[in-house]
Amino acid sequence: MHVGIDTGGTNVDAVLVDDGIRASGKVPGDRDNPVEHLLEELLDGQQAVERVVVATTLLLNAAVQERLPACTNVLVPGPGLSPERAFHGEANHVAAGCVDHRGRVTEEPAYERRPATETVAVTAKFGTRNPEPERELRETLDSDAASVALGHAAGPGLNFPDRAATTVANARTAGTFAGFASEIDDALDTVGVDAPVYYLKGDAAMLSADAMATRPAQALRAGPAASALGLVALTGVEDAVCVDIGGTTTDVTRVTDGFPVTEPVEAGSLETGYDGVRAVDLPLGGDTRVAADGLTGRREGHASAFGGDEPTLTDALSVTGALEDTGGALDSEAARTAFESFERPRAVAAGVVDSYVSRVADAIASVAPNATRLVAGGVLAPSLADRLADAAGIGESLVPDHAAVAGAVGCATARVSVETGIHIDSARGTVTVSALGTETEPVERGRTFDDDEVATLAIERAREAARRAGAQSDTEMPVNVRHTRRFNVVEKARVAGQVVDATAQVEPGLGVELGGDR
Amino acid sequence: MTLALYYHEDYLLHEHTPTHPERRERLQYTMDQLREEGLLDSPAVDICAPEPASTADLHRVHDGEYLDRLRYMSRRGEGQLSVDTHVSEHVWEQARLAAGGVADAVEAVATGTHPRSFVMARPGGHHAFADDGHGFCYLNNTAVALRRVQATTDVDRILLWDWDAHHCDGTQSIFADDPSVLVMSTHQSGRTLFPGTGFVREVGAGAGEGYTVNVPLSPRTGDDAYLRVVEEIFEPIAEQYDPDLLFVEAGQDNHFTDPITDLGVTAQGYARLMERAVDAADELCDGRLAASLAGGYGIEGGLPYTNLAVIASLAGLETSNIREPALYEPPSASPGVERVIDRVKERHGEYWDF
Repeated sequence: MHVGIDTGGTNVDAVLVDDGIRASGKVPGDRDNPVEHLLEELLDGQQAVERVVVATTLLLNAAVQERLPACTNVLVPGPGLSPERAFHGEANHVAAGCVDHRGRVTEEPAYERRPATETVAVTAKFGTRNPEPERELRETLDSDAASVALGHAAGPGLNFPDRAATTVANARTAGTFAGFASEIDDALDTVGVDAPVYYLKGDAAMLSADAMATRPAQALRAGPAASALGLVALTGVEDAVCVDIGGTTTDVTRVTDGFPVTEPVEAGSLETGYDGVRAVDLPLGGDTRVAADGLTGRREGHASAFGGDEPTLTDALSVTGALEDTGGALDSEAARTAFESFERPRAVAAGVVDSYVSRVADAIASVAPNATRLVAGGVLAPSLADRLADAAGIGESLVPDHAAVAGAVGCATARVSVETGIHIDSARGTVTVSALGTETEPVERGRTFDDDEVATLAIERAREAARRAGAQSDTEMPVNVRHTRRFNVVEKARVAGQVVDATAQVEPGLGVELGGDR
Repeated sequence: MTLALYYHEDYLLHEHTPTHPERRERLQYTMDQLREEGLLDSPAVDICAPEPASTADLHRVHDGEYLDRLRYMSRRGEGQLSVDTHVSEHVWEQARLAAGGVADAVEAVATGTHPRSFVMARPGGHHAFADDGHGFCYLNNTAVALRRVQATTDVDRILLWDWDAHHCDGTQSIFADDPSVLVMSTHQSGRTLFPGTGFVREVGAGAGEGYTVNVPLSPRTGDDAYLRVVEEIFEPIAEQYDPDLLFVEAGQDNHFTDPITDLGVTAQGYARLMERAVDAADELCDGRLAASLAGGYGIEGGLPYTNLAVIASLAGLETSNIREPALYEPPSASPGVERVIDRVKERHGEYWDF
């Protein structure tokens, strides 16, 4: 049994999934210990829980609202273009030292200053070819540094300025992530669930909690990733625009070839080299407060129809008679009363529904201009899907069963994905593997590799990284070897070894098929 | 300012022998450096894919008989044009792609799609003659490129500055009697380095007399001495010639770590030289400047830094932090260049004012 938990701005949703959806629930996120209560309600103590997968919008909200701590960005740029190209911290300190393209330390690292903040990022040029200088600098930092992220742990690949930005993002999100993860651990302890915990990445794959803790910026776009993957799992669509209508926000994403489309993620002042689902995140949802002149873009509490005090979009749907079954107790009288404060309640209600529909249609046009199918999730999906499709000029709309908890379904059906870079330099006698971190190990000096050996090694190492990130079986690990190259290293007019590079990815995908066949 | 950078993975295919100095990691370590600097993902650089030079392009420069011979040898994948210039199965296609890359880069600048361009290609071309090749060169990339833009665009007069450590014997012979391409070469003197030509007395012939300028330099010549040559020879002649386009054949084998030459230029020196070329192009030909990698065999301590220096200068990026790691020590002293400057001024005084 997989447990999927999606903690959004308004509600916490959870599902239990094995080869189908066995149970689901939804509680308001503002009550005490929502995860604990939800799991107590869903789990009867009989099911063996294999894994718990969690998505949160907490990091994204903190980033967008600029509530993350400031970071001192310590760089070891060595010679090259101006280090300012990698100045992504609130303070930026340039340290001495140089790692060259073969991972050799050609100048010793030395950091003479003190970080200006408790949050610190350390990134060396070519740090993914040799992690040692970053580790050495970390040792010299004062122990009062609360959170230190190292560039070689950010992921494989070459691009020093981008890696510095990503490392700063990891450092700045680490505290928020750790706090959230410890709340989840406490809730699971309380309800007696002792299963590995995973977190959803923005690219709709997952990582073990430990792996995510070193690169939490990967979780920035977990919210829209969860709902997009959930809608794919529930419907089996290959190509569609997905609209997830939450209480606070509406996420518009796109699916092509059976998986959400991704892009490099930016959020607030954070830039990362991590892929996340391409999403337009509108600040409008079922609980968005309605004023006489329309939607305010603010959420001040629940819809009146669900026990709140103020008129909202959900209430507007109720007043116009468009509100379909929401799966919960609904007080349409309260909705009507809330709108009575307006001079012309029905006109205001119809106006805000129109305005919501047209803003979502604009978002659809920018994310998926040629979409021919719309899939909707969220509690209001049955009430709005057809209207949204009409407004966007899309012929077919689809609201699957369990659409109200699509994000939690996405969590429960995700699988592990890790990108791995391998750099062999047999003239130096080293193999450097970058995946969840960067590690260097010895290899026989002068050894040469043929193409098949390189591919085999890349697949092995990618699977090893995926297992370390929590993947449990090889069937969950289709590997795509993306790039290989190799050439001789000539020293003193003889072939001293080979340099070999390969990158391989255990690909994101559905870990559980729910049998959707669209 | 966006620099067009022409590069193709197929530039890595050809190998002379497993230990030959002209080998693929000349480009690969540099590409690693550019990638790690973030340049390849930056708006400062457009990565452009070259097309192979056409048959018509090649026939503007080379004899049909030589082209047939080279294509035949390459198809068989064996043989040598000279003792150090081997023909592999990839030579024909890759040399056409290198020549096409230089031609595309010059054309991009001539037609204004990019203000400046750089070609990261191998094999090089400047030792290739109309009817033969040697010195690791098969087709004369630069001649193919310049002849194409002269034939297809409104660019007529081209100033070619070949700063490779080796004299451009092939290029000089192709343009010797042609005043529409002024070939200026700064190189390590033929007395001490292959190909043993490029003396001051070689000034061109017929209508091209005075349009070949050779500045042979002593071993260990360094940055300051090069800059003096630029000021006293290159800049005055460039100004008087008033080209429509400037082309730099940017050999990186003047670097002090180069294993097969003896000059003393640093990465900073390369940045300065390319800045002067940029200034000259801005002043004389609306900034039209194309450049290509030529030689350069200091694979570890030279090329990643010298290529970065010239590319950064061309892209208008800050270059003050570009240098070799401290592991590599630049030479402490450079011989003077007064004598060669005087001899060039004396010999060329009848064609140019200094």
